[in-house]
Amino acid sequence: MDIIIIATIALLGLYMAWNIGANDVANSMADAVGSRALSVKQAVIAAGICEFSGAVLVGSHVTDTVRKGIVDPAALASLPNLLQGEAAALFIIGMSAALLAAALWLNLATWTGMPVSTTHSIVGAVAGFGIVAAGIGAVNWGKMGQIVASWFISPVAGGITAFIIFKIISKLILGQEQPARAAVKVTPYIVFFLFMVVTLATIYKGLTHVIKGVEWLTDMNTFLIALGISALATFVSKVFVKRKLSGKESLPLAQQLESVEEVYVPFVIISSCAVAFAHGANDVANSVGPLAAVANILKTGTVGMKVPVPLWILMLGGGGIVLGLATFGYKVMDTVGTKITEITPSRGVAADIAATATVLVCTRLKLPISTTHVLVGAIMGIGLARGLTGIDSRIAKKIFKSWLITVPAAAIVCIVLFLLGRAFLLDFVRQLVLAARIA
Amino acid sequence: MNIIQELFGKSPFGPLVEHTKKVHECVEVIRPLMEALVNEDYDEIHRLQDRVSRLEYEADTIKHNVRDHLPRRYFMPVDRVDLERFISNQDTIADKAQDFAVILTLRKTKLHPAVMDKFFGFVDQIFQVTGTLLTAAVELNNLAEASFSGAEAKVVLSLLKGLGEEEWKADRMARSLSKDVYSLEKELDPITIIFYEKMILTLGAIANAAENAGDMLRIMILK
Repeated sequence: MDIIIIATIALLGLYMAWNIGANDVANSMADAVGSRALSVKQAVIAAGICEFSGAVLVGSHVTDTVRKGIVDPAALASLPNLLQGEAAALFIIGMSAALLAAALWLNLATWTGMPVSTTHSIVGAVAGFGIVAAGIGAVNWGKMGQIVASWFISPVAGGITAFIIFKIISKLILGQEQPARAAVKVTPYIVFFLFMVVTLATIYKGLTHVIKGVEWLTDMNTFLIALGISALATFVSKVFVKRKLSGKESLPLAQQLESVEEVYVPFVIISSCAVAFAHGANDVANSVGPLAAVANILKTGTVGMKVPVPLWILMLGGGGIVLGLATFGYKVMDTVGTKITEITPSRGVAADIAATATVLVCTRLKLPISTTHVLVGAIMGIGLARGLTGIDSRIAKKIFKSWLITVPAAAIVCIVLFLLGRAFLLDFVRQLVLAARIA
Repeated sequence: MNIIQELFGKSPFGPLVEHTKKVHECVEVIRPLMEALVNEDYDEIHRLQDRVSRLEYEADTIKHNVRDHLPRRYFMPVDRVDLERFISNQDTIADKAQDFAVILTLRKTKLHPAVMDKFFGFVDQIFQVTGTLLTAAVELNNLAEASFSGAEAKVVLSLLKGLGEEEWKADRMARSLSKDVYSLEKELDPITIIFYEKMILTLGAIANAAENAGDMLRIMILK
């Protein structure tokens, strides 16, 4: 009767994925919608495609049993006085509780409009389960420290990068006497950098998992591929920008600035799609990781550290994200589009490049950071570079607080759910696990 | 719903440019007022006073609108204090233009032919000062787009440099005009002289406020 367990957890995973789509995705496209590069409808469709393909194509096909190794499953299995199958049953209940807790917390966040991190929600929930089920020692506190550090590192890193990129755009293009001419000269370099970051992020985020066993896809070759794609994009952009801006050098300054912003529209679309793609690839595991873990337990009977993620589970996660986007994220995107009118395409590109680059570097360093946190930091960075006309610092503080509270809140909800589950469902689940093993 | 969009404050610079334009409209009524005074068309003066008072009210509405966009918690590319001083100086310009119209309605005064040319020259100079401020201040939106730096900032700063000189010129003209007025003390009744003096002081205050607004704009850019 393992189908009951799988179906239940699949439903929970779907609920979680729905929440990711509802809460997070609008943020990744915020720059494109806010700068009017895309209409809300177009943004929803673009985000849907990018998130789904990111999740299914690049979403990691191997996931840690417990996200980011925050809890050691071995600690659970080695608990004394366990009945046969009890460790597996506890694990299943724990994962379900974690999924439900994270999803409930995200749902609350979506409801009140807080851009919290899905990764941190699930990490907090799993840590809560680990503490109650196997004791304080079962939680990897070093990893937890990294997460706490990331609350400060990700916005600061995103902010500094965005500050620098926007300063460069502002100094070399917008601040020139003939912005149109300067844009023709400088934009190709920015495009080169944009495509380098985007392709490297796409490949590193897990394309290597898709094309498994391809030995030649080493770091060096990856770099060369990115270099090739970027060179091509640079060339295309050079032609495009030249055609768009030639003859506009003699227009009044205000009109030149306007045409320069228009030229940045396609770039902000590309960079926003890259953020959505990376987001789908990165965050789908938050919803389907526990599901994959449970499916594996039922198949092998053991609680391992790493488990494969079958394609159908990735599709489920990607589908759930798109569903959340279509049913609720749509509304969020609509308000984002009508309210953030102060961001222009040049600012959007700077924020997106900074976010993607920061996520890329931190992923390489194996730091668990949140795309949302980085993006908010990037927006603040552009504000510091005098690029935005007004940032509400009270809202910024509120956002920061919601980050701090996410891990403990998800942990507490998960602890409650897990204790309830253990009290009422332990025997039932254990029987199911044993039955599955015999069959 | 979503908090990221709440992170962005509405730009104060669009309404600010509107305010500048409206204030300038108030100043534009001064010359027709002077012409009506020369023609001794006191009905026209009353009509113009109505107009400038309505314009001043509209400018006030825009000013409140701008201030609504500037809650304390907003983190802006310019210093809030400088921005508020800029607005309040522009506000003074509109107030003084209205005061000028009100002064003319208080008494049926005639303009003495001996000071007429100088008076008109002075009014034109005031217009020159506020006009320079207008040319600089309407660039605020573009300044924000260029993040208050580079070529755009340079253009506005050089405009503002001219502003100080124009105001200085207006000051000198005011002094010379006052002298001429007092030299007529044998011919004019004292009340008329007081009246002229009031007009000159009000116009001078407009130029002064325009210069101060320009200074604030410069500080905003150089922050």
